[in-house]
Amino acid sequence: MLHARIDGYATATIAHPSLRGQTIVLCTPVDDQGRDAGAPFAAVDPIGAGRHARVFITTDGSWTQNTVHDTTSPIRNQVMGLIDSP
Amino acid sequence: MKPGRVIGTVTLSQAAPQFRGARWLMVSPMGPAELTGKNPGLSQQSTPVVYDKLGAGLGDEILYVEGAEATQPFDHPIPLDAINVALLDRYTYAPPTV
Repeated sequence: MLHARIDGYATATIAHPSLRGQTIVLCTPVDDQGRDAGAPFAAVDPIGAGRHARVFITTDGSWTQNTVHDTTSPIRNQVMGLIDSP
Repeated sequence: MKPGRVIGTVTLSQAAPQFRGARWLMVSPMGPAELTGKNPGLSQQSTPVVYDKLGAGLGDEILYVEGAEATQPFDHPIPLDAINVALLDRYTYAPPTV
């Protein structure tokens, strides 16, 4: 699971059908001290994390396919949980 | 899903049969400097060629997926590892400045 921080949001009208209705967040991977540790990426956020929230993210596409109810979905990053205190 | 900016297209005269009628994009991956607008140009990262079914044009910002998940939208096996999954309308990216 990736440890990341939510740094932005994105909207995409033209996208793969499985993305329709999903909140897309832009995240930055962070280390345990909260310092940036990698290139930003996008993820689907079914739990509604707030700005600069620290979350952990799965990169397992098959799990995300269950969330979006579409077995042809190419999405791979999904917010799994909010980290209260590291 | 990684953000990137379309900087070109690729046409193939010879390609694997599964790629008949495919459209390919040259994408410049967007790092923090590009997403915050500090660098409107190209990033230093390598340029992947991404399969496109959504009709992205030059200069569009997209989200693309790399890896085995890129083959999921197809019902036949296909030797593909990067696909465009979204054309970004608007996005914000503002890491904490502290």
